[in-house]
Amino acid sequence: MANQKYNLKEEIEQVREDCLRPTRKWGRSTQIWIGSLLMVMAWGLYCYIHQLRNGLGVTAMRNYVSWGLYISTFVFFIGISHSGTLVSAILRITKQEWRRPITRSAELLTFVSLLFGGIMPIIDLGRPDRIANLVIFGRVQSPLLWDVISILTYFTGSTVFLFLPMIPDMALCRDRLKVCETKFDKFRKWLYTKMALGWQGTKTQWHRLELTMTIMTIVIIPVAVSVHTVVSYIFAMTLRPGWNSTVFGPYFVAGALYSGSAGVILGMVAFRKLYSLEKYITPRHFDLMGRIVLALTMIYAYLNLNEYWIPAYKMATAEGHLLNDLFSGSYSIAFWTCQFGTVLIPIIVLAIPAGRKLIPITITCIIIVLGAWVKRYLIVVPTLLHPFMPIQEVPGSWSTYFPNYVEFSVTAACLAGIFLVITLFAKMFPMMAVWEVEEGIQIEYDKQAAIELREQRETEEAKNILGNAGTANEPIIQQA
Amino acid sequence: MIEENKENINPESKTTNRRNLLKYGFLTAGLTVAGIGLKKVFSEGNDPGETVKVLTPDGKVYETCSTQLKEYRPGPVTNAEARKGIPNKKFVMVIDLAKCDGCKKCTEACQAMHYTEPDREWIKVFKMHEAEATAPFYFPKPCFHCDNPPCTKVCPVNATFKREDGIVLIDNERCIGCRMCMAACPYSTRFFNWSAPDEKQTAQLGNAAYSPEQSVPRKIGTVEKCDFCPDMIRQGKMPACVSGCPMNVIYFGDQNEDAVTNASGVTVKLSQLLEDNAGYRHLEELGTEPRVYYLPPKNRKYPTPNVNAPGGRENKKPTELNMGDMHM
Amino acid sequence: MKMKSIINKITLSIIFTSLICVISTAQDKSEVKSKRETAIEMSYNKKADKSKIAVALVTAKNEAGKFIPANNVQVNFYAKHNNDEQLIKSANTNNKGEANILLPKDLPLNDSMYFNIIAKIENNNQFENAQEQMHFKEANLSFSLDSKDTNRMVIAKVTEMSKDGKEIPVKGVELKFYVCRLFGTMPASEDNNITTDDKGEASFAYPKNIPGSTEGVITLVAKIENNEKFGSIENKVAEPWGTVLAIEKEPFPRALWEPTAPFPLVITISSLFGGVWLVYFFLFYQLKKIKEETKIKTVKN
Ligand code: SF4
Ligand code: SF4
Ligand code: SF4
Repeated sequence: MANQKYNLKEEIEQVREDCLRPTRKWGRSTQIWIGSLLMVMAWGLYCYIHQLRNGLGVTAMRNYVSWGLYISTFVFFIGISHSGTLVSAILRITKQEWRRPITRSAELLTFVSLLFGGIMPIIDLGRPDRIANLVIFGRVQSPLLWDVISILTYFTGSTVFLFLPMIPDMALCRDRLKVCETKFDKFRKWLYTKMALGWQGTKTQWHRLELTMTIMTIVIIPVAVSVHTVVSYIFAMTLRPGWNSTVFGPYFVAGALYSGSAGVILGMVAFRKLYSLEKYITPRHFDLMGRIVLALTMIYAYLNLNEYWIPAYKMATAEGHLLNDLFSGSYSIAFWTCQFGTVLIPIIVLAIPAGRKLIPITITCIIIVLGAWVKRYLIVVPTLLHPFMPIQEVPGSWSTYFPNYVEFSVTAACLAGIFLVITLFAKMFPMMAVWEVEEGIQIEYDKQAAIELREQRETEEAKNILGNAGTANEPIIQQA
Repeated sequence: MIEENKENINPESKTTNRRNLLKYGFLTAGLTVAGIGLKKVFSEGNDPGETVKVLTPDGKVYETCSTQLKEYRPGPVTNAEARKGIPNKKFVMVIDLAKCDGCKKCTEACQAMHYTEPDREWIKVFKMHEAEATAPFYFPKPCFHCDNPPCTKVCPVNATFKREDGIVLIDNERCIGCRMCMAACPYSTRFFNWSAPDEKQTAQLGNAAYSPEQSVPRKIGTVEKCDFCPDMIRQGKMPACVSGCPMNVIYFGDQNEDAVTNASGVTVKLSQLLEDNAGYRHLEELGTEPRVYYLPPKNRKYPTPNVNAPGGRENKKPTELNMGDMHM
Repeated sequence: MKMKSIINKITLSIIFTSLICVISTAQDKSEVKSKRETAIEMSYNKKADKSKIAVALVTAKNEAGKFIPANNVQVNFYAKHNNDEQLIKSANTNNKGEANILLPKDLPLNDSMYFNIIAKIENNNQFENAQEQMHFKEANLSFSLDSKDTNRMVIAKVTEMSKDGKEIPVKGVELKFYVCRLFGTMPASEDNNITTDDKGEASFAYPKNIPGSTEGVITLVAKIENNEKFGSIENKVAEPWGTVLAIEKEPFPRALWEPTAPFPLVITISSLFGGVWLVYFFLFYQLKKIKEETKIKTVKN
């Protein structure tokens, strides 16, 4: 048994090493990557300033299509942000052991996409200079204010949710970073110390952390659901054909969950490859995540059916024109490609075990994420082009819409922003919750130990091991 | 002097109105200005002009001469007053589709009054053709000033608001330009100032004071729409589109008085008009409760619109206005 | 031969075209010189405040040969008495083509008590000279109201002045009753054509349920419209005969479209999100605690 204990320590050491390694060096490729992201963002910023100076007229939006790519992207980003809640909170609540290596990236994705998702509507404002009016004159009757409230709530919640499990890790980083020669290292040391909140891994601290984690895990789920529901309400609270639908809330939530978890898989793939985490993120993880996405796709497909088949059966006047345009008109190619690509293909691919292997699941998830984006666009734009009053005798630019370079650039800048924040985060902080993974290993050991215990009936040694379980961090702290 | 003016302004119903005046003891700036105007008129000699009415901010009507009215240029009312509206009034519009020949004079009058660019039609004349077999007709559509206004419900900052007198206005100095109201209005009534107003407009208006009642000078990044011309109403005049219609299609009035008036001054009983002509409201099923009523297009005496033109709820293909490279 | 004929044709065509040119320019010139044909219509209104107004409606022929209202045309008004014309005043037409003036109180009257007004367009460089005259007699329209019974009656009386200054009732004058509304006068009922009797009186049963102001006040108007002898005369009186307009108790109720939200909505939203934020604050408190606990420990160490 002494042998085993030694192994445990070594393995934990290995985990820590694997997790913290990427934070130590900033390679050439990282610099190039960050540089190009900054360039995209700079160009986007330039375009946004152009938009600020000359008004939203520099975009392709006009009076009929008064919401375009920005709002579609807003809905899409908010959708992606649901990943964190799902994977992290739901799997935590259901005590899924395999969640441990992927929770951090999922929570990070939530945090970042929410950050930029929240920026999108501000970019879309005609008068961003008057944003304070939302607080001064805010009307609680407006779905937009619900959005503001619930997104702020969710953002705060997901920040806390990301931060809580980071505390022990920050302490670890703080303690491991001994030599601070460069200014940057000094900054990091300072940051880690601040973020660790003086964590020392005492019993009461662990107790408090577990308590807060449990509460947060429960609270964040309804908050996340509320966010996407009220995002759908900015459409569903209108009388417009195509938006005037009672199924919009669940439809958006399902769409968000499924595109979000596909996003998590993509994140897993990326970090696994870049940081050589093959040992932790195993084919089993992809298999299980694949099953989840499969289930969510089916829910989404079911709601899709409700959303389109019910009105299509009735073909009410105004709604009928919209559906005709989607099914067989100018949007039909995009619509059917999107429906087949994001519903049929994932269901078929993910239903077979071979489809849940690394390569096919990556491709499927890329399709899902892009398809979800297109789908948001197809929810927002065609409806605006099918108002109750006919579109007659208007300038040509009013009756069609395709985003122009300004909108693409600004949106691309936001996407680049998401990547940049993720990259910087990954370069500063461990991308796996070290202590959680350790805990997982510990539990594994405990299990094995218990089995051995039963077999060998060596009670005394077993007690020793169990005694270790509560204070995983202790040896390290002593080292430091 | 002031007392004298009052008497001059409404000599005919001296007793009652004077009693009211004394009772309420108000004296509005408008009346004072009118008084100054009056003095000027008298010093120049007697020129009666027409008798017209002036609506004071608290909803009282005064009759005065049109010549005085020229002097009586009400400065924009305060924001608080503009948000409150004219008490004890409920403005309505009735549009008689049987008489509309699609000449768009209403649109032109409105555009001239509000310095709008030609593509922004606060009152737009649609060519409607609801079904293959039904007759096409012209359909002028202003803002309906709905009593259950979807646009107002969704505004996050109360920039769009519903007044006591039923008018739905926009405060362009508060609007944050989220365009939620444009998405919510089912009648495509609202327009957005995508770019700065063109130079011609700015030159015409200069640094004129803004009031939600005038909707000008327009502000970039905010929404605008038909405002039922409350600034005209305060002067006792009907909205520009109403008096601009050569066919007497549009009636305007106060529902509380159960009367509406058209361009040639014919005043009729609103309830009677709606009853006799089977008046209706557009898309009643949406429940927005418009304040604009329509009289069905029966017995039309003008050429019907081109049937081939796409229109009505058919909405097959948007038709385009050839305006060159006009900016928004 | 051929050559000649071609030359002939060319010369001919040249002559022809130049001729056309000459004719057309001549026409142009004549058009420039010619003034627009003008017509005047006159009417006379006596307002409720006893002011007398003469109106001249000026129309002029346009290119299509239609008479349309002409604005900004100077019209001179003359009072005619015993072949002697005296200028009263000039006025310019407005954009409806109307020029109107206030008539002086002491208009010269002829033996049968008529006055005679002439409107003229003179020496205008755009419009042809035109003139029109009207003669009317002065009449008085007075009101009395009778509300003894439940049936309210409006009685109007029309009188004219005799030469010796007496008021004589006029029989057979058509009257109409109106009520004042915001933008115009509305017929008080559907058939409100009433003719005066021997006493010069016309009575009218006032219909119920005409909405009045918040005090129930209604302004009633009696009008004689375009009478051959008397022109148009109106008189009005304000009386609390209308139905009282109820003042809206709550013009701005709590509603989805008003600035203030309905209570259930406020309560729902604030309790939902307030609850979440309370939990957040509890969590922040816990985090603070975590931090504090360290300090204690370091002190101990
Ligand atoms: S017509 Fe449209 S803009 Fe006008 S009040 Fe109704 S919803 Fe609002
Ligand atoms: S665009 Fe302006 S008026 Fe319309 S909802 Fe937004 S803030 Fe209100
Ligand atoms: S009511 Fe006034 S603002 Fe509205 S369409 Fe008529 S003129 Fe334009």
